[in-house]
Amino acid sequence: MSLSLSQKKGLSLPKPRDLARYIFSLPFAYVGTVLLLLFAYYTRPALLSPLLLLLIIRQAAPLGIVVLGQSLCMRVLSLDLSIGGVIVAVSYILTSGVLPFSEPVLVLICVGFGLMIGSINALLITRLRASSVIVTLAMAMILSGIVISLSQYHAPSDAPEILRYIGQKRIGVFPIALFVWLAVLIPSVIFLRISVFGRYVDAIGANPNAAWTSGIPYIWVVTIVHIMSSLFAVFSGLLLVGFVGVGSIDIGQDLALNSLAAVILGGVTFGSGKGGVIGPTVAAFMLTFSFNLLTSLGLGEPGKLMIQGGIIAVAAIVYATRQAK
Amino acid sequence: MSSIGLLHSPGRSGLSLVALGLPVLLFVIISLISPSFLSVQNLSNVNAQITALLIIALGQMIVAISGGIDLSVGSVLSLTSTLLVSVDPTLSIPTVLLVGVCVGLVNGVGVAIFTVHPLVMTLASMTFLQGLALLILPVPGGSIPGFLEALVDFSFLGLPAAFYWCLTFVLLAAFLLRATKFGMRLFAVGANAQNAARNGVNVTFYKILSYVLCSTSAVMAGMYLSARVASADATMGASFALESVTAVALGGVQLAGGVGSVPGVIAGTITLGLMTNGMNLIGVSPFVRASATGVLLLIAISLQPRKAIGA
Repeated sequence: MSLSLSQKKGLSLPKPRDLARYIFSLPFAYVGTVLLLLFAYYTRPALLSPLLLLLIIRQAAPLGIVVLGQSLCMRVLSLDLSIGGVIVAVSYILTSGVLPFSEPVLVLICVGFGLMIGSINALLITRLRASSVIVTLAMAMILSGIVISLSQYHAPSDAPEILRYIGQKRIGVFPIALFVWLAVLIPSVIFLRISVFGRYVDAIGANPNAAWTSGIPYIWVVTIVHIMSSLFAVFSGLLLVGFVGVGSIDIGQDLALNSLAAVILGGVTFGSGKGGVIGPTVAAFMLTFSFNLLTSLGLGEPGKLMIQGGIIAVAAIVYATRQAK
Repeated sequence: MSSIGLLHSPGRSGLSLVALGLPVLLFVIISLISPSFLSVQNLSNVNAQITALLIIALGQMIVAISGGIDLSVGSVLSLTSTLLVSVDPTLSIPTVLLVGVCVGLVNGVGVAIFTVHPLVMTLASMTFLQGLALLILPVPGGSIPGFLEALVDFSFLGLPAAFYWCLTFVLLAAFLLRATKFGMRLFAVGANAQNAARNGVNVTFYKILSYVLCSTSAVMAGMYLSARVASADATMGASFALESVTAVALGGVQLAGGVGSVPGVIAGTITLGLMTNGMNLIGVSPFVRASATGVLLLIAISLQPRKAIGA
């Protein structure tokens, strides 16, 4: 895939092998996005109209936001699969009318809820040293179980007005969701680049034993990362509920797996200490675009799942071999 | 015995008073709460309900002892179910077994040769296979080959077929772990792969083999479950990944590897089965039951001490 691309470009450059190596070392997401866009250009050019692209970006925004949290988790050798559960709970809090508060208060409650779930996850993972995958999967199971059984009494209904505005309206041609995404993304990038916390995350990812031995506040970093991940999930849930317009009991269920796929595609792997925020962000767009492409090619849910699984496996294998060299 | 000793007994069986006492305690509590619990009908129901889980949990145990985890078992079960109604009846058994072995090989090669984290690898195959199962059979239905239905619907010496299914796989797993070189080397690989390798154990081979056995057990569970409900469903196995991990963890199998036993897994599975059945009898909604399983999983996993933080 990347080889043919590099060969094409290599003609004008003195050292094609270096370029090939460079392209091969880039996160999958960059090469993948280019290839996907090229493929769409020849098969479904309609998808590349600015209007549709902006719609796809709007659709990618919730995924793009959770990916930020997931990539942090993965960089400290952890995982957060409770994202779907948190989003379902957020949608229920906002739309069921169980809590008789005004909309801003409900949003605050959601944020508090995210803090709580993130803290519980982190507590179990860091203090009791339980496997993060199991902990967060169990958390997702608990949360969605509770929400589904509660919704027998209070069904979810319309989303709050303000969230629908943010999720659906646009400024000029640009959807507001895009600005929300950028408003979360840019500070995160800057924060991780310049803060000590960002260095700690890199250090743990590069070598957990060395990080632990050299006195880095390991437990705190992992704790904060998990709390941040749950908070990102809450923000994403707010956006998603506004975007869909109504709450439901299966909203955002595919985000946990998609975010995992996006993070791996974006060049973040366990134990490499590498990987930033931009790679996973591009990957979030790439995944959403590919799902749209698949739908337009007539492949439904099964095809989506198979491609998702295939992508995760292939990307993980390639990165693992690359690391071993 | 100190309080720590109560929770974590030493040795490679991982059996503790909690693991063995929990099902007994649940049994007593439920029989006190619900009088219909102790009826022969209900008890054979419990047996039938936990058979598939027990078979999968035994496979999960083998992978866990080797130091891995397999989240794809549920999808393998679903896929088996869809294949059973889709291919020619005479070819159905070889086909599903072949698929099971292939899935295990892919998982095992990914984990052991390409050193992908087992959770990531099996999560990927879980997703892929779920998609494949939905592709093969978008809507539940179909008819299971007659001979399979006969295999789960007999009774012998007054005991139902489910009992013999359980017995077969329990004996098989116990034999593998206790009486074969495979068992001994599996524990060695799980306890410390590097040491095992230095002592001449082919770590890669045993890891791959453990995944193959696990997927095969999921295929067996899929055959049992499909035959029992006499129909196929592409999402039939969705809950089995976490339930099998819960059962295994409750039974004192260390997910870090090297520790585990068949009696522990039986106890863990019975605990989970009794909890489900008990909540059924008192009329708790199935979704609350899912939450309760989640809580149980959190408790079971939190009782396991390990060094690493993270995945």
